[in-house]
Amino acid sequence: MTKVWLPCGYYHENYAKDQGWWQTPVIKGKMILLLLIVFVGFPLFLDEYWIGVANMIGYTALGALGVQLLIGYAGLITLGHAAFIAVGAYTSTILILKFPWPEFLISWGLAYPISIIIAAIVAGLWSVLFGLPSARVKGFYLILTTMAAQFITVDFILTQYVSRIGGRGQAFSLPPGTIKIGPWVIDTDLKVYFLMIIVLTLTVMIMANLLRTRVGRAWVAIRDNDIAAETLGINIIWYKLLNFFVAGFIAGIAGAFWVANLAALSPEHFPWFWSLWLVGVILIGGAGIDGAIFGSIFMVMVIEILQMLAMPASEIFPKILIDFAFLKDMAFGLAICAFLIYEPRGLSYRWWQAKNYFNLWPFSY
Amino acid sequence: MELFLMTFTTGIMVGGIYALVALGWVLIYKCSGVLNLAMGELTLIGAYVTIYFYLMGVPFILCILFTLIIGIMLGILVERIFLDKLIGEPILAVIMVTVGLSFFLKGLVGFVWGTDTRVFTPAIFSLKPFTIGFLKISTVYFWSFVLAIVLFLVFVAFFKYTRWGLSMQATADDETAALSLGVSARFVYAASWAIAFMAAGVGGALLGNINGVNITIGFLGLLVLPAVVLGGLNSIPGAIVGGLLIGVLQNLAGTYLDVYFPGGVKEIFPFAFMAVFLLFMPYGLWGWIKIERM
Repeated sequence: MTKVWLPCGYYHENYAKDQGWWQTPVIKGKMILLLLIVFVGFPLFLDEYWIGVANMIGYTALGALGVQLLIGYAGLITLGHAAFIAVGAYTSTILILKFPWPEFLISWGLAYPISIIIAAIVAGLWSVLFGLPSARVKGFYLILTTMAAQFITVDFILTQYVSRIGGRGQAFSLPPGTIKIGPWVIDTDLKVYFLMIIVLTLTVMIMANLLRTRVGRAWVAIRDNDIAAETLGINIIWYKLLNFFVAGFIAGIAGAFWVANLAALSPEHFPWFWSLWLVGVILIGGAGIDGAIFGSIFMVMVIEILQMLAMPASEIFPKILIDFAFLKDMAFGLAICAFLIYEPRGLSYRWWQAKNYFNLWPFSY
Repeated sequence: MELFLMTFTTGIMVGGIYALVALGWVLIYKCSGVLNLAMGELTLIGAYVTIYFYLMGVPFILCILFTLIIGIMLGILVERIFLDKLIGEPILAVIMVTVGLSFFLKGLVGFVWGTDTRVFTPAIFSLKPFTIGFLKISTVYFWSFVLAIVLFLVFVAFFKYTRWGLSMQATADDETAALSLGVSARFVYAASWAIAFMAAGVGGALLGNINGVNITIGFLGLLVLPAVVLGGLNSIPGAIVGGLLIGVLQNLAGTYLDVYFPGGVKEIFPFAFMAVFLLFMPYGLWGWIKIERM
């Protein structure tokens, strides 16, 4: 019987196989099935509303992946990630709307894809700028500098200066048809979904590959004990800044992607609340890339379910629907506290346990 | 020069309130090692509780008293429900529980009291400023400062001269030694949260007197973080000096930098200052310097 693990007595013959993602046919089949479901199944069978929910999940997951890279893999606690997402979104928007693109790039629909990459790089560099204090401080002090990044970037630079050049007071409006990739105008939720799932898959692939190189191992070493890592010859400042760059890069991609889903861009899309939300997502999700994705699914679905419950309840207490935003805050706060107190290892640990149970069945000793 | 002095005194007066809230923060950190990001919401709750009683017609001093009592109850409740179980957990877990708490409290305040700005009517302090020499000082600021300083002194006296305060000092100094001398650590933790709630609550009530009570009081409460970083995380004199300095710097920035960077310099400057300050003096003015070894 093929299993999830290699049977007893079989060994990997080289390092590449040992590090491979899909080590047995069962895992390979499972993962291909998953890809089929998200690429074909969901677009075919989900209706418009749930595709919109899936887009939200994808956006949250993209943001949470960057946070996971910083907190989960390098131990650099950040509470200002929304700032870098905002930088990505604004760079992309300004490039699309204001940059004098050559005619052929526009007609080929390359303006948006190129702006995504430039936005990602700009967000990465912005993130490095605010990562510089990490050379000297860590832990709580780093939290404060990333908080400062949030307030300086979003509440000051973007709100007071950048959004003024949008022409319409506070918001940049994105006329329909401006977001275009090749011949496709991204205008329906379904097209956004395809963009999202492609970007998310690519990001996960790049990140997972990065984590099993020298760079990824250096990050993990820094997370586990930075002084020990330094004595092993790892240049910790360089690797910390690299981590900030990659996390900012992913945040920039997330922001530039989210532009496709918006009709207008304003600083209110990236409040401090959103930074905290992303950290909460990975705390609920647990360790690893799958943790970030489980966390996003869980949090977005909880809000959806709450909204569904609020509809009938609001007929009795209309206050519930009016003040739903506050209820959402309360639910999120309680969820973080409950997970940290009762389930500190997050959803990915539960998932791992469930998998183990079935893999070892019926002899789960 | 006159403008400078006036900005400076206003800064000192507001800084007194920040110092009061910072005292609560430092106390929690010293006694239980919890880095609290929910301080803004504690001030928010204090402000709303006070104005709730005040609009019912209770005299202001009694309102402050009620806020203190409710602060004690909420502090003990919060500590017992949320933080008691997390003693000894990693720093991120404890910080994020306080973040979760801040979300919960903010949602609760918003749900119960809504988002409208409320004003203390009738005004408690006269709107007319009074003058000392050539300085014009707004009455609200002056009495807020006095009240903040009085409460501050009461808290400091509590630590110095009462048995409970001494046991809190002992725990902050060396927890193991304090435990061996029969100090109950759980009592100390609960007491530190209760005092933090009281200090932040009164701070919120005073801030609400100045600008009216709405959800942005929570942001003003966050300014306590630059203050404690400036003073050093575990130093009570640092909290005073940090609070006053942040108040002064904030008002000076609002007066002088606003010409060059129009917009919200006043709100942002403490955080920008803190980010730069951390690069050069990460342990603040009087914080303990931790030397890490493998």
